[in-house]
Amino acid sequence: MRLYLRLLGAHFRSLLEYETDFLILVAATVLMQVINIVFLAALFAKVPAINGWTFWSVLMMFGAVALAEGVGSLFFDGMWNLAWMINRGDLDYYLVRPYPVVLQVSSHWLGINGLSNIVTGSLMIGAGLAHSAIDWTPWRAAVGVLLLISSIVIKVSLNLATNAVCFWSTSPSPMFAFAMHQVGDLARFPLSIYPVALKAVLGLALPFAFISFFPIAYLLNTGSSRWLGLLTPLVAAYCVGMAALIFKRGLRRYESAGN
Amino acid sequence: MPIVEARGLTKVFRRPDKGTGLAGSVKHLLARRYVEKVAVDHVDLSIEAGEAVAYVGPNGAGKSTTVKLLCGILVPTEGEVRIDGLHPQRDRTTVAHRIGVLFGQRTQLWWDLPVAESLGVLRDIYQVDHATYRKRLARFDDVLELGEILPVIGRKLSLGQRMRADLAAALVHGPQVVYLDEPTIGLDLAVKDRVREFFRSLRDEGITVMLTSHDLADIEGFCRRLVIIDEGRIIFDGDLESVKDSFARERILHVETAGPVPLETLRASLPGAEVTEEESPLKYAVRFDRFAMTAGQVVTVLATLTDLVDFRVDEPSIEDVIRRVYSGELVLPR
Repeated sequence: MRLYLRLLGAHFRSLLEYETDFLILVAATVLMQVINIVFLAALFAKVPAINGWTFWSVLMMFGAVALAEGVGSLFFDGMWNLAWMINRGDLDYYLVRPYPVVLQVSSHWLGINGLSNIVTGSLMIGAGLAHSAIDWTPWRAAVGVLLLISSIVIKVSLNLATNAVCFWSTSPSPMFAFAMHQVGDLARFPLSIYPVALKAVLGLALPFAFISFFPIAYLLNTGSSRWLGLLTPLVAAYCVGMAALIFKRGLRRYESAGN
Repeated sequence: MPIVEARGLTKVFRRPDKGTGLAGSVKHLLARRYVEKVAVDHVDLSIEAGEAVAYVGPNGAGKSTTVKLLCGILVPTEGEVRIDGLHPQRDRTTVAHRIGVLFGQRTQLWWDLPVAESLGVLRDIYQVDHATYRKRLARFDDVLELGEILPVIGRKLSLGQRMRADLAAALVHGPQVVYLDEPTIGLDLAVKDRVREFFRSLRDEGITVMLTSHDLADIEGFCRRLVIIDEGRIIFDGDLESVKDSFARERILHVETAGPVPLETLRASLPGAEVTEEESPLKYAVRFDRFAMTAGQVVTVLATLTDLVDFRVDEPSIEDVIRRVYSGELVLPR
């Protein structure tokens, strides 16, 4: 853990070396979230609710995705460089160091834009919670925290799993992972509005819906499948396991690069 | 027990066969075809603790691939590797503490960090205690003059500085086995000398070293054992000095004569030697076996035929031997 932060810290210095990039990124992510909120507000000005979901509950889903993405960028952004690292043979030295390769990869970059996503995401969740009629008990609060952590774990694991596909494709850019990330954005809306096929993708194949929709449905006690939210920690464990397995299998295929 | 052992080590790479041009690429999309390239072909290698082994071969012979297999970066297609009896993938973390690797063409330093901090991060990864770390750094400083480059940021290092820093990085955890893959590539002579001196100090400390290099001067005076690989196969594995004795026995005498002498006359008077004309007139090269005749005898014979203006004797280096092995001119016993 301390070592992980040390590795990340090594890249924090890199960030400060290029401070314009840093400022542009922070501004861009804040702007993205503002646009999201404006878009949601405009949408809900016309319709009071989507399938029974109010503005505040959908805002929470947006917030949960933003928060999970933010944690992913801030602490595990190196995963997005995996394709490039494989293509260039940059894993050579990682493989001869006594520290998990996956952690050396994920700590390889620090996406400072994650910070603004964490802040705006938390604010969105907070605002949603403030406007909800949740009957808070210690149990519910504890479950809420557990679901939030699980949601973040799922997002990070999906990032890893989809990026690790590059071990098979050896493309120098994370096209597949990026496409899946875009698909994951659909999970910011209540799953109930989508056709069955899409529900199956977002709920089962790539369980993006467990990042936002299911846990929030459980917390808000809304919708027909609210109990599914309780499965979030299990889904998280499954995602971590699968991602680790895919990465491990991929690593055996790693071919380095010629000198 | 050998510290590094490879048995039947084989690595096959599968590459898409795309033909040439855009048409070829499109065709590959429709009908996938692959070609297999055997980079390393049933290599058996056994290195005892404390040995210094030179691993040489022409470009693309499979040197780097072997090194990557021996440190566990690549998983072999067939065969197996043991480092100190351990499996490089299954016991990756333990093995990592025992081996040090330097790829001359690639740095492991952090691009935006000063060298001192890169080394500090590695110290933390390997969990080297501070006292030991300081002691090692001081030693590196002695031979590699590391002190002056410690505050320099990774991307601002010159090639020579980078290589010295990378050497320190590969050895910061005190490995028992060190793989050096092209460690002097692109360095100027002064730095090369310093780096070579450092290699010798490693060997003298009893560290096992496997050195891959195109510069055979890196090897002479450092490695006692020579392994030659060509097209993925080991074609020679034995004592470096004995190779020199057996195969570097040829000498070449270059002479310049005062007047023209027919080539036939020269050849007739020097049976057992090979006489050729050199690029300019009146210059000849005489190739002979130093165990069959001496340079003095050759000169004496020539002097009876004509006046000699100038002469010089070339002694072949290990470099020549290996070059002739590569070209297939010389076949070494296995």
